[in-house]
Amino acid sequence: MGLVDWARLRSPWVLHFNTGACNGCDIEVVAALTPRYDVERFGIRLVGSPRHADILIVTGPVTKQVEKRLKRVYEQMPEPKFVMAVGNCCASSGAFRNCYNVYPGLDNVIPVDVYVMGCPPKPEAIINGVVKLLEKLKKLKGGAS
Amino acid sequence: MEGEAVIQELIDVLRTLLFPGFLFFVILGLFFEWIDRKFYAKLQNRVGPLYTGPWGLLQPLADFVKLMAKEDIVPEGAIKPIFSSVPVFALALSLFAALFLPVCGPQGIVSFPGDVIVLAVVLTLLVILVFLGGLSPASRYPEVGAERSVLQLLGYEIPLVASILGATAMTVGLGGSLSIEGIVNAQRDWWSILGFQALGFAIFLLAAQAELERVPFDIPEAETEIVAGWTTEYSGKKLALLRLARDVELAFLCGLGATLFLGGPWPGPLVPGLGGAIVSTIIFVIKSIVVLLLLTVIRAAMSRLRIDQMVNFAWKYLVPLSIFQLLLAVVVAPLMIHLLTL
Ligand code: SF4
Repeated sequence: MGLVDWARLRSPWVLHFNTGACNGCDIEVVAALTPRYDVERFGIRLVGSPRHADILIVTGPVTKQVEKRLKRVYEQMPEPKFVMAVGNCCASSGAFRNCYNVYPGLDNVIPVDVYVMGCPPKPEAIINGVVKLLEKLKKLKGGAS
Repeated sequence: MEGEAVIQELIDVLRTLLFPGFLFFVILGLFFEWIDRKFYAKLQNRVGPLYTGPWGLLQPLADFVKLMAKEDIVPEGAIKPIFSSVPVFALALSLFAALFLPVCGPQGIVSFPGDVIVLAVVLTLLVILVFLGGLSPASRYPEVGAERSVLQLLGYEIPLVASILGATAMTVGLGGSLSIEGIVNAQRDWWSILGFQALGFAIFLLAAQAELERVPFDIPEAETEIVAGWTTEYSGKKLALLRLARDVELAFLCGLGATLFLGGPWPGPLVPGLGGAIVSTIIFVIKSIVVLLLLTVIRAAMSRLRIDQMVNFAWKYLVPLSIFQLLLAVVVAPLMIHLLTL
């Protein structure tokens, strides 16, 4: 494993984007970042700008209105970038299934690397999702997503 | 004779590049970031970086390497030459400033009468760079951040310079001098902070916090209001260099605080020979760490001010206080020394 891979696995910076969630998932994402779970142990940091981020955490059903913005935020992130869908809504539109204004899932709009299920998922599950993502990264070995 | 000159030249170059020059300060900067994050975590009842190297010691390095390997985006509307050169200049300026610090003896690598003023200018230039870095990408949030950083500069620059100048008052009894070396030597048996400079030290801490844009003065990069402030559009290598520049600046300002108020490397240089340099370095780093821990406590104990609150506070309290302490240091203290020695 090269130096770059080593660094990449140890410094995943996340960006949190709400595409229309009921706020349940957002609260859990924020809870996962509190001192109780202390994700800084793994080098995980919440950043404000898409330009700084490695992982895009998306919560909530992707509404038609937010689609353009979501794509833009995704495109603003520098490679290599990864996407994590948090919550049932985000993965498969969950409670909002078949609504006229939402997409059936996040993967209809941007490529997704990890799905975390639950309504809402526990903070432990979200951290586990990040760990799964890192494992996937390890297998890719330096390849961009 | 010729050979000796060449060897002396070589030693000077090595001193500048390795120790106590660039490499030393880069490593010290990364180390200081780690201490800062770790202690900050402790104050919040958590452990902080843990799994990257022993006790998470390599976390700042991992962040740096990762950012270096990421895609480097330049926004379309950006003024490219300025946008791209700001991170390089920021790092270069911080490293240049660090050369003045008396790490392994009472004298820095660069030292001349008046270098205190050069340092004050460098500290202002760093903020001008922030301003350019915020304006050049032609994007809204960085612009707001850039404006805020300059507004903030108007607030804390006078106190910062006044507290630095106040420290030079220590040299008054010794013929007076505006050089770091003079200030350090004047503190040989009596650190500035133990006298009239305690107030100056407090003002310096607040101003340094503002210069570094850390809580409660992280207004130019307030991530809850303006995305990431002036750094919003920076990514990849440029962001890595900016962060490194910040780390070096942090190490530099902590070192400057230790130099001006805590006696710098004293009593290290009393040890003769090479041992003196080693002891001085250790003492200097420990004193800098003390300053760093104080800065971290300020960061952990406070929340962000609004820009108007900051400027208000600076002009209503910080500036008058700093002028008062300058008077105290330059007029009252020498007068009292004069009266006492009569
Ligand atoms: S998954 Fe549940 S908690 Fe999350 S946004 Fe959807 S409805 Fe809300």
